Amino acid sequence: MRRMIIPVLAAAIALAGSASAQERQITLGAAVQLTGRQANTGRYYGDAYLMAVDHINQKGGVTVGGTKYKLALRVLDSQSDVNLGVRQYVQLLTQDKVNFLLGPFSSNDALDDSSVAEKYQVPMVQGGGASTQIFSRGYKYVFGTLPPADDYFASTIKMMGQLDPKPKAVALIAADDSFDVSVANGTRKLLKEAGLELVVDKQFRENNAEFSSILSLTKSKNPDVILWAGHEGEALNFIRQAKSLDVSPKMLWSFTVGVPTADFRKALGADANYTFGMTPWLPDKSLKDDWFGDADAFAKEYQQRFKYAPDYHAASAVACVETFAKAITAAGTIDPKKVRDELAKVDFQSLYGHIKFQPNGQISLAQTVIQIQEGKVVPVFSESFLGKPLYPMAGWAKR
Amino acid sequence: MLLFGQILVNGILLGGLYGLMGLGMGLVWGVLKIVNLAHGALIMLGGYALYYLYTGAHIDPFLALPVAMILLFALGYVLQMFLLNLIVRSAQLNTLLITFGLDVVFVYMAQLLFSADFRTINPPYAGSNVNFFGVVVPYVQLASFIVAVVLASLLFLALDKTRTGRAIRATAQNLVAARLYGVNPKRIYAITFGTGAALAGAAGGLYGIVSQITPYIGVTLTAKSFVIAILGGLDKPIGVVFGGLILGIAEAMASLYLDPTYTDIISFGLLVVVLVARPAQLVGRA
Repeated sequence: MRRMIIPVLAAAIALAGSASAQERQITLGAAVQLTGRQANTGRYYGDAYLMAVDHINQKGGVTVGGTKYKLALRVLDSQSDVNLGVRQYVQLLTQDKVNFLLGPFSSNDALDDSSVAEKYQVPMVQGGGASTQIFSRGYKYVFGTLPPADDYFASTIKMMGQLDPKPKAVALIAADDSFDVSVANGTRKLLKEAGLELVVDKQFRENNAEFSSILSLTKSKNPDVILWAGHEGEALNFIRQAKSLDVSPKMLWSFTVGVPTADFRKALGADANYTFGMTPWLPDKSLKDDWFGDADAFAKEYQQRFKYAPDYHAASAVACVETFAKAITAAGTIDPKKVRDELAKVDFQSLYGHIKFQPNGQISLAQTVIQIQEGKVVPVFSESFLGKPLYPMAGWAKR
Repeated sequence: MLLFGQILVNGILLGGLYGLMGLGMGLVWGVLKIVNLAHGALIMLGGYALYYLYTGAHIDPFLALPVAMILLFALGYVLQMFLLNLIVRSAQLNTLLITFGLDVVFVYMAQLLFSADFRTINPPYAGSNVNFFGVVVPYVQLASFIVAVVLASLLFLALDKTRTGRAIRATAQNLVAARLYGVNPKRIYAITFGTGAALAGAAGGLYGIVSQITPYIGVTLTAKSFVIAILGGLDKPIGVVFGGLILGIAEAMASLYLDPTYTDIISFGLLVVVLVARPAQLVGRA
């Protein structure tokens, strides 16, 4: 926690010296998994918020009704404990009196934490929870920059229709947390519409390390495709155990997480090859941004500053901060209700993509299908093919 | 039938590793009457030790395993000698508190030193396997099963045949009498805790080969080790290995025939059954 606050304070003090003596400030608060089981992904949020706030302040901050305000950040470490996170969000609003809320990582956390925002009627823009559960409760103060979990496999299934040979039998394996339940529900519907047969449909316990039974069952059904939804650590285990039990789908497998992440590819080495995944974001020069220039410049600066590469989580987190900056300026006030109304109307281009919320508060962004080819992430398909997929994937013996 | 055979093999191989995890926990519990809540953290540290021996010093993980065990033994010995010996005979709540505190310290130190990145010990042969009439047996899992059985047998022999082993058992059975015969309990406790830590270290290394290491794997593994130690009973090392086998097979079967989300219900359900049916297990007769 201290790690986060000190640089922001230092930057704020340094800037305060050059600017007017009486600095006006808007504080954004969040409880993020900086330690604990989900620290590996949680760090994207802590680091990206920091970087976005710094950049916006460097460019003069946020104009509110003709007056310049600086952004400040208060990030607490929720230690990957959902209940602690909820208490911290209450603390942020009642004791620390932050002006607005940014979100945590993961749907389970966002689902509970966003209730605090709704209760206190302070808007939260969160880039870590994609489950449709978060947005199906009629909440007015919760906005999300991740595309709906239901559609994570939509582009993959569309691509499957255009591949040769065309896959028929699919195994769907998903964890039992909020995000993955949403993914599985959406995917079942998409598979049915696409006329694909579901031969294995299994749910596993979140944070489970052991997949041998599910893998053995899957092998006995011999599917063309495995679609897998869960957390990154579980994906690693699934792939490693699949190799040791010699389980491989005939044509392709795709994972909701991990594939865009450098850490994942490093842990798996060559075993990561052929793996499909998806991302709503790639660090592309075509994604222009008011504060960072473009997504590519952002990714380079992020890598340099934090010594690891950003993925879509980080970009989504930056977009949350930028969304607040836009909405507050449009509202011309920091009144939470008025800012909330402007958030519902934002429509701008960010380094993450086009930010415009649907009536339920969630964004709509297409997922680009990606594949790991010789250790590199290659964009393969969005509306049509972007690159050549390695297809059908080779069995373990032939690699 | 083939699927059943495969699941049984999966369960047995997993169970061997579980047994090794429970072994150190059971030893420390049985002899020192300490329920070591930092056991999972020691497993995690063993995993990192092996990871760095493999990726940094390029020693084959199975050859480096004894080195990781020695490192963990030293850590365990020092912990017991200079910290846990201070409270080993006080109320059990104190030992719970202090080992819980150690767990927190180890976990956060690990995140500071090693980051929260996922680490895997991935030698070229990890993932290779042999096929027996359609039943796939992964080499690495088989090797870790064998290591677990060998270590359990060695522990059994050491406790039974060596002077130090007999001193450990004597201390557990009757402290006063053991002292009268010239046993230095502080040293014996330190050796016992060190051995428990070394076994945890071995389990952690193998866990890193078949699964993955992060600073946070420990909590679940402490809970599993606890269940396994109770299932197996605290009196004989080989019993703990059986405890591990029972849990491994039960989890594998439950995943297939009930539902994969039921694995926790199975392990803790088994714990409740054992506690109700054999409460003597809790007391421990090392």
